[in-house]
Amino acid sequence: MSRKSSVWLIVFVCVIALAFIASGCAKKQVVKEEAAAKLPPMEAKKEEVKPAVTPEAAKPAVTPEAAKPEAAPKAEAAPPEAAKPEAAPPAAAIAPESIDLSGLRIQFAFDDYSLSNKSKENLEKIGSWMSKNPNAKIQVEGHTCEIGTDEYNLALGERRANSAKKYLEGLGVTPSRMSTISYGKERPLDPGHTEEARSKNRRDEFVQTK
Amino acid sequence: MKKSLFIAVALFLLEGIYSQPLWAKVYIDIRSPSFRRFPIAISPFSTALSPSDTMRLGERATEILSNDLSISGFFALIDPRTFTENSTRIPPAETSPGSGQGETAGPEGIDFRKWAHVGAEALVKGEVTYKDRSLSLEARLYDVVKKELIIGKRYIGEVTDLARMVHRFADEIIFALTGEQGIFQTKIVFVSKATGNKEVYLMDFDGRNVNQITRQQSICLSPRWSPDGTKIAFISYKAGNPDLYIKDLRTGEERRISHYPGLNISPAWSPDGQRLALTLSKDGNSEIYTIRPDGSGLVRLTNHPAIDVSPTWSPDGKKIAFVSNRGGNPQIYIMEATGENVQRLTFEGKYNTHPAWSPRGDRIAFDASIGGNYNICTIRPDGSDFKILTANLGRCEMPSWSPDGRHLVFSASRDGGPHIFLIDAEGTQIKKLTFQRGGDTYPNWSSRFRDGG
Repeated sequence: MSRKSSVWLIVFVCVIALAFIASGCAKKQVVKEEAAAKLPPMEAKKEEVKPAVTPEAAKPAVTPEAAKPEAAPKAEAAPPEAAKPEAAPPAAAIAPESIDLSGLRIQFAFDDYSLSNKSKENLEKIGSWMSKNPNAKIQVEGHTCEIGTDEYNLALGERRANSAKKYLEGLGVTPSRMSTISYGKERPLDPGHTEEARSKNRRDEFVQTK
Repeated sequence: MKKSLFIAVALFLLEGIYSQPLWAKVYIDIRSPSFRRFPIAISPFSTALSPSDTMRLGERATEILSNDLSISGFFALIDPRTFTENSTRIPPAETSPGSGQGETAGPEGIDFRKWAHVGAEALVKGEVTYKDRSLSLEARLYDVVKKELIIGKRYIGEVTDLARMVHRFADEIIFALTGEQGIFQTKIVFVSKATGNKEVYLMDFDGRNVNQITRQQSICLSPRWSPDGTKIAFISYKAGNPDLYIKDLRTGEERRISHYPGLNISPAWSPDGQRLALTLSKDGNSEIYTIRPDGSGLVRLTNHPAIDVSPTWSPDGKKIAFVSNRGGNPQIYIMEATGENVQRLTFEGKYNTHPAWSPRGDRIAFDASIGGNYNICTIRPDGSDFKILTANLGRCEMPSWSPDGRHLVFSASRDGGPHIFLIDAEGTQIKKLTFQRGGDTYPNWSSRFRDGG
């Protein structure tokens, strides 16, 4: 097996070398982009690993990628070659100082306070924003749907708020920068009585505080 | 407040002009498991004001009394349409002319056979007089069979005291016929969103005289009467966190007594009024503690990573029932008032909350999710005899017992609402008490106290 494959390996390397010499860097980039376009998920994994090697370039690339999958090819190009100029546009897409916290509310299942993967994604974005804004403080509001009595729901809402706060602490956010409050079922997002409305109300809201 | 105190004193002094011992006869044996309803006739109260009784005082007095006796569940009220006697003025032979000398009004003026003929075993007659801005109510209860007076009372006060006077007499009737104290002078505290914010309100047990008593303009929850009827504990978000307050009804003062970080919720007064059980989450998880009404003397009772909330005391003060989801979903548990010996009480259904221990000690009410509906249920403290009390009233929640343990109030979402409803402990008679826009919830029934306000 080794003889045959080493022959093929040599041929392969020669071909690549020829292509490299003949067409220069640009072409190589094209090749890489096409590859990226074909296999976005794999490239994504690569991105996660990259931060260990090139933190400055990789981090801005990672967050826009998560938010805007269609920009993936652009992001792919950044780390291998000329990282900084490529990284600049994605970084500008999310200004470090502001974030739409209300758009990052997280949902819960009935009578539950565990975090879904989507919730964790949102929390990671918040955690990332907080690490870039060391003076920012937030309040986590825990809410429930209308089912069940006020008192139990106040306790459940608090659990939900604490779940999110603990996860953010795990991401490195200092506990003193976060406060929690439970509103139980007192402040529904949707006052309707359908299951659709109720599922919207089982949530944590994030509010920036002074 | 001071004025009503004066009136109360006046009422008290002028009571008990006529009285007769009645130990010889048992009219209604309320201990008997299936006592029959006692047939009583209320002759419409007359007004010594006619013809220009624009305030309809006699009519209102009759209505309030009929309502009280009907709610009690002890009586079969004889339909007034069967009364042939048109004039209901007490014949001159009966009244002692305003002197109140304790002269027994001879009942000979009443044709008891006629009342016996319509099926009455007891008869109430009364008269309201309004003169020189002073209201006077005179009422008598007669034994139709023995053809004699059982009790007679006269009350004096202001025109706004009419309901209070009638309720007081209704309590006298209950005591005379059953030997038990009545509940007609009790009150209910509740939460309403009528103003757009949840505030605490007060009303008579029958739904009359609704009064807003907090103006926090925030979110108020969980109002609870102190056993002596002078204070209301409640939760408010006014300071940006759910904190526990106590309002003194005599002075109007509101004092914040627990404001630990996190939850300070679900207050419950011990039967002797010396402590409050409540839920705090300051130690990382919602647990049940007790404190003194001044906020001192914190004692922790529960110690479990699950949610523990909504305590309620047994009437002897020795046990506390509460809600915990330590079994995976919210159920009712019972523990000693020291926190020891936690036992699970409910096993039916997946969602049982808001326990309320009957003042009789024999049952615990709670709200339960059963087959997708929320209903009020009761169970014995040993876990036996589970009963569903409500049906087809929409979502029923937050039960609270009357001080005699014979009735409950709760919040139900039938007809929009939610509104507060009254039901007897057997679930046979239902009455809607509140009608405010915005929703009324969280009713809590007072104990009997000496003075209604």
